[in-house]
Amino acid sequence: MQERNISANNFEQCQKCSLCETVCPVMKNNPAYAGPKRSGPDGERYRLKNGIFFDDSLKYCLNCKRCEVACPSGVRIADLIQQARIDFSRQAPKLRDIMLASTDQMGPVAGAFAPVVNFTLGLKPVKGVLDFTLGIDHRRTLPKYSSQTFVSWFKKNAAASQASFPRQISYFHGCYANYNYPQLGKDFVAVMNAFGYGVNLLEKERCCGVAKIANGMIPAATRDARTNIASFRKSVAQGRDIVTVSTTCTMTLMEEYPELLKVDNADVKDHISLVEQFLYKAIASGKVKPVWKEGWKARAAYHCPCHQERLGLGIFTLELLKMIPGLQLTELESNCCGIAGTYGFKKENYKVSQMIGKPLFDDIAAAAPEFVACECETCKWQIEMSTGVPVKNPVSILAEALDLEKTSELNRG
Amino acid sequence: MMKFDVVIIGGGLAGMTAATELQKSGLKCAVVSEGLSLHNPSAREFKTAGGTLLNGDSVTGGTFKDGRLQSVTTQKLGDVSLEADNFILATGKYFSRGLVADMDCVYEPLFGLDVQYDKDRSTWFDPSFSAPQRFLDFGVIAKEGKALKDGETVDNLYPVGEVLCGISSSQSDATDRIRLSALEAVKSIRRI
Amino acid sequence: MPDNKDFDVIIIGGGITGAGTARDCAMRGLKVLLIERGDIATGATGRNHGLLHSGARYAVKDSESAEECIRENKILRSIASNCVEDTGGLFITLPEDEDAGFGLDYQKKFLEACNKAGIEARAISPAEAKSMEPSVNPALIGAVVVPDGSVDPFRLCTANVTDAALHGAKILVYTEFLDFIREGDTILGVKVLDTRTGVKAEYRAPVTVNAAGIWGHGVAQKAGINIGMYPAKGALLVFGHRVNNVVINRCRKSADGDILVPGDSVTVIGTTSTKVPFEECDNMEVTPDEVRLLLREGCALCPALATTRILRAYAGVRPLVADDSDPTGRSISRGIVCLDHETRDGVKGFVSITGGKLMTYRLMAELATDAVCSKLGVNKSCQTADTPLPGSVDGRIQTNSKRFEGKPTLGQKSAAGRQGDLVGKIHFESEADKQLVCECENVTLAEIKYAVKELGVRNLEDLRRRTRVGMGTCQGTLCIRKAAKALAEALGDPSAAPKLAADYLDERWKGMRAVGWGDTLREMEFMQRVYKFEKPYSYDEI
Repeated sequence: MQERNISANNFEQCQKCSLCETVCPVMKNNPAYAGPKRSGPDGERYRLKNGIFFDDSLKYCLNCKRCEVACPSGVRIADLIQQARIDFSRQAPKLRDIMLASTDQMGPVAGAFAPVVNFTLGLKPVKGVLDFTLGIDHRRTLPKYSSQTFVSWFKKNAAASQASFPRQISYFHGCYANYNYPQLGKDFVAVMNAFGYGVNLLEKERCCGVAKIANGMIPAATRDARTNIASFRKSVAQGRDIVTVSTTCTMTLMEEYPELLKVDNADVKDHISLVEQFLYKAIASGKVKPVWKEGWKARAAYHCPCHQERLGLGIFTLELLKMIPGLQLTELESNCCGIAGTYGFKKENYKVSQMIGKPLFDDIAAAAPEFVACECETCKWQIEMSTGVPVKNPVSILAEALDLEKTSELNRG
Repeated sequence: MMKFDVVIIGGGLAGMTAATELQKSGLKCAVVSEGLSLHNPSAREFKTAGGTLLNGDSVTGGTFKDGRLQSVTTQKLGDVSLEADNFILATGKYFSRGLVADMDCVYEPLFGLDVQYDKDRSTWFDPSFSAPQRFLDFGVIAKEGKALKDGETVDNLYPVGEVLCGISSSQSDATDRIRLSALEAVKSIRRI
Repeated sequence: MPDNKDFDVIIIGGGITGAGTARDCAMRGLKVLLIERGDIATGATGRNHGLLHSGARYAVKDSESAEECIRENKILRSIASNCVEDTGGLFITLPEDEDAGFGLDYQKKFLEACNKAGIEARAISPAEAKSMEPSVNPALIGAVVVPDGSVDPFRLCTANVTDAALHGAKILVYTEFLDFIREGDTILGVKVLDTRTGVKAEYRAPVTVNAAGIWGHGVAQKAGINIGMYPAKGALLVFGHRVNNVVINRCRKSADGDILVPGDSVTVIGTTSTKVPFEECDNMEVTPDEVRLLLREGCALCPALATTRILRAYAGVRPLVADDSDPTGRSISRGIVCLDHETRDGVKGFVSITGGKLMTYRLMAELATDAVCSKLGVNKSCQTADTPLPGSVDGRIQTNSKRFEGKPTLGQKSAAGRQGDLVGKIHFESEADKQLVCECENVTLAEIKYAVKELGVRNLEDLRRRTRVGMGTCQGTLCIRKAAKALAEALGDPSAAPKLAADYLDERWKGMRAVGWGDTLREMEFMQRVYKFEKPYSYDEI
C-alpha cells in the first residue's frame, strides 16, 4: 500500500525545477543539445512509451554529471542519458571511438613504439590525417605514451620491497598512470611507502571502462568490470583495501558498475578509496604522520574535476592540501574544463569543448598560479593545452612537499 | 571525523545567510547542501571566508547524546562524520525534503524532530490555487530558537528558515522572516 | 429567429455520444447542430480509463454487451487507428481470488464465455504472463490474454467532431441548453445560452437528440419526461509514467479498482463506483478513502504501483439508467438505451440516447441516427463503421513523423502521435514554432497554434484535451505560464493570459490535492512558488 508517493523510479522524482539546465556546460554552448532534464527524466518517460522517442542529440552529453550534483531530488540524470544511449543508440561505434576508448588495448601497442608514436602524433600532417580519417580534432594535443609502463617499472624497481611495510594496500593505477604518465604511479608508491603502506598490484587490472561506456562498447566494458571486481574481492579477502588515483576511474568503479553495467560492487565498494580520502583519514585519525620539507613553497589553484564533484570527495583533497605548510592554495570556481574524457578529442566536439572550458581557463589565467592542483588526468591535458599552466596531481604535490625520508622513519612501526 | 564549530544543514537562503555570518565571525563552518547551493554570491563569500561547502551531498542522520546533537553523517563522506558544537537545520520544506509528507502525517526526516501539522489532511489545501495553503505553514517547532525532539529541547540544534512552522514562502515578507530566523540563530551561537 | 427550421437535427451534448451522433447524422446528409455547454469531452467521456474493452469483462454476466464490445473494438481499431493503441490485455487470477470463488474454475468459465461472445481469449501460464507484462503481480496463478487496448477519448471525440464539421455540421461549444421550444406535444427546437457572451439564442429542428450523458436526466425533465437516471461516480488515479504496457484486469466479478490501463505516457487505475446526488455531478472530488481503495487494488494487479509517483486523481459520472421494464425503477438497464419519446412518452421530435459506454459510442450514434432518420423519413445507411476518422487514415507515428522535412524533432514525433495524419497541417515555420512549450509532453508552439486554428480551442483546458499540454509529471508547473501566453497570442488577445493560467491552475490543483503527499506535494509546493510568490528559484532566468 502506497503511503509515501515517493517514486522508486528515480527519474520520476524529478520535479522539473530545471536547476540541472543551469549548470549543464553543454547546453550553454551547443544549441543542438536538449539539456539534461529533457534528455534525462523527460525523455525517459517518453522512451518508456515508445522507443521512437529516443533522440540522437543525447550523444552531446559529456557525462560530466554536474546535473546530478545540482539536482535537489537526487535524480541520476546523466546515468539515465547514458543508459538510454546504451539501450537505444543503434549507431555502431566508429573506429575512432573504439581507438579512443580502448585505452588499455591501444596503450600497450602505442607504448611499445612510444617515441615513434609521440613523434608522429605531434606532426601536423599526421594530425591532419587523424582529423580527416578518424575525426580526432587536429587542434588537440594528444596524450603522450610512455616507453616504459608503470607496471613494468614497478615490477622491476619496487615490487620486491613492498612486503616489508607494516600495512598493505592494493593500487588501482588506471590506464593513464600506466601508459601515459608512469611518474604519477611512482609518486604514489613513494608517498604510500613513506606512510608505511606497501603497494600491491591487483591480480588483474583492466581499464575501468569509462571510455568504453561513453562510446557505447558495453559488452567490453562489462567484461572489464567483472575482471576488476573479481580482483578487488581477492584483494579485500587478503585484507588490502583498494586505493585509486583517478577520480573518473573511481566514479566508474563505485557508481557506474552497478548503475549502468549491472555489475554488483556492493561487497567491495566500501573498501575502495581515492588516495586523498585514504590519506586524509589516516592522518586525521593519527594513524600516520606527515613530515613536511622545510622551506618548500608553492602557489597553486585547486580545480575540482566534475567527477570529483559528483563523488563529493573533493573536501578530502582540499583538507589534505591545506595541511601542507608551504602551499598557498586558492580554490577555483567550480566549472567543467570541457574535455570529459574522450568527448573533447572528437572533431565534432572540439569547438564546444573549448567553449565549455573557457570560464575555467579565464579563472586560471586570473589566479596565475605556479601550477593547478587537480586529480584528473583528462582535465590535466585540457588545462595544460588550453592555458599553458602545468597541472599536478595532489599525489605528486605530496611527493614534492613531504620529507619522504623523515616521514618514512616516523611511520615505520 | 571532521570537526567544525558549526555545521549548517542546507545551502538555501537561510543556511547560507547563517553560514556566511558565522564563518566571517571566525567560526569554522561547513555547509551540506543537497543539490547546488542556489545562492551563488553568498556561497562564494562563504568559501572565500574559508568555509567548507559540500555541494551535492546530503545529511543522512545524526548521533544524539545528553540532549545534544553530536555529529552528523553524510551520504558521500561515508564513515567520516561531521562533528560540531552547534548545528543549524536549514533544510526547507517539502520541495527540499526538509519535511516529508505521507498520506496522513508530516515529519522531519533527518532527526525526527517535533513537527506541527494537522492530522486531518482535508485541511491541508484550499481549493483555490491562489488562496493561502495550510500545508505551507506546517514545520518544525522551535522553543527559544532550538529544536524539540520528543518534547525535549535539543540544546545545540537551531532550525531556521522555511523548515520552521509558521514560516513559508507564501508570506509576502518571507525573505525577511527567513533571514531574520537565520540571524537569530547566529546571535545565539555567537553568545555561547 | 425565423420560424422555419434551421437544422434537420439538434444534438445536445458534446461528449463522445453526441459527437458520434453528429458525425453519423452529418454523414447521412442531415443538417446538424451540436450544442455543448462546455468543451467537447468534458463529462464522462474525458473522465474514464480510456480502455478499449475487448468485452471480456462482460462475457460471463452479459454476453450481449460483450458481443457489442468486441464488434466495436474491431471497428475502432480500423476507423480510429490514431486514437487506439493495441496493447493487448490480461485477465489475471490471484491466489486470494481462489478463496473468493473466482479461482481457476472461474477462469475456465470466463474463457468459454469469451469464446462464445467471439472474443479471442487464450489462457497462458503465469510465467508467460510475466514475460508479456513484467510489471504484473508475480503471485498470479493464471492469466488470460484478450484483445484489450487503450483509446484516447479526447482524440476520439475531437476526431468525430472534426469529421462532423467536415460534413457540414455546426458545432457550438460553450453553449448551454436552457429549455425546449415546444408546441403542444412537439419539440420544435432549443433555447440556448452562450456561456461566454451571455447571449441567448433559439434554434429549430424537427428532431432533437438528448446525448447529454448524466445531464440528460435534466434535459429530459425540461420536456416533462423522466428517464430515471442515477449518477454513479467513478474515481481514477493517474500514475507518472507507463508502468505497464499491457492492460491488466482481475479475472473475477467486476469490482472496484480492477483495471490498469496504459494510456499515452501514463498509467491509469480505476475505478470505484458510488451513487452520488445529481448536485455533485458538476464538481466531483476524489476522497482519501477512494484513493486508498484504488491503491490497494491497483497494487494487487501491479505491485510497482506502490512505488510509482501518482500525478493526480479524477472522477467521472456514469449515467446509469433505470430499466424501463422494471416498474420499481431499481434495476439498472445494461447496455445502450435509445428512447423514442414519441412512443414512450408521447413527446414528438425528441430522442434520448444514453447508457452504453465509450466503447460502444459508435453503435449508440448509429442507433440514435437511425431513429432520427426514421422520424425524418430519410433512408440512408450508416457509413461510420467503414470510414476512417480524420487523423486515422494512417495513424502510425513512424509514418507520420516522416511527413516532416529532415529528421523529425521530439516535438514533431509527439505531435505525429497525437494528431495522426493531420500532423501535416502543423506548420513548423520558424525556430520558435519548434520550441517546446510543454516539455513533459513535448508540445510545441506550432502544435498549439494548430489546435487553436483547427480544433476549436478557447482555454488551456481545451488545449490540454487536444494536445496533452500540462498533463505530464509537473502538471503544468513549468509550462502553464508559457502555454497561457502562447494561447492568448494565438487567440489574438495577449491580455487574457493571466486569467487563462489562473483557471487552469485551479483545475490542475484539484487533481493534485487528492494525492497531495510525497513527491506530488513537493511538486505542489514548487508550483505555489513558481506561480504565486516571489522567485526564490529565479524561475524567469531558467
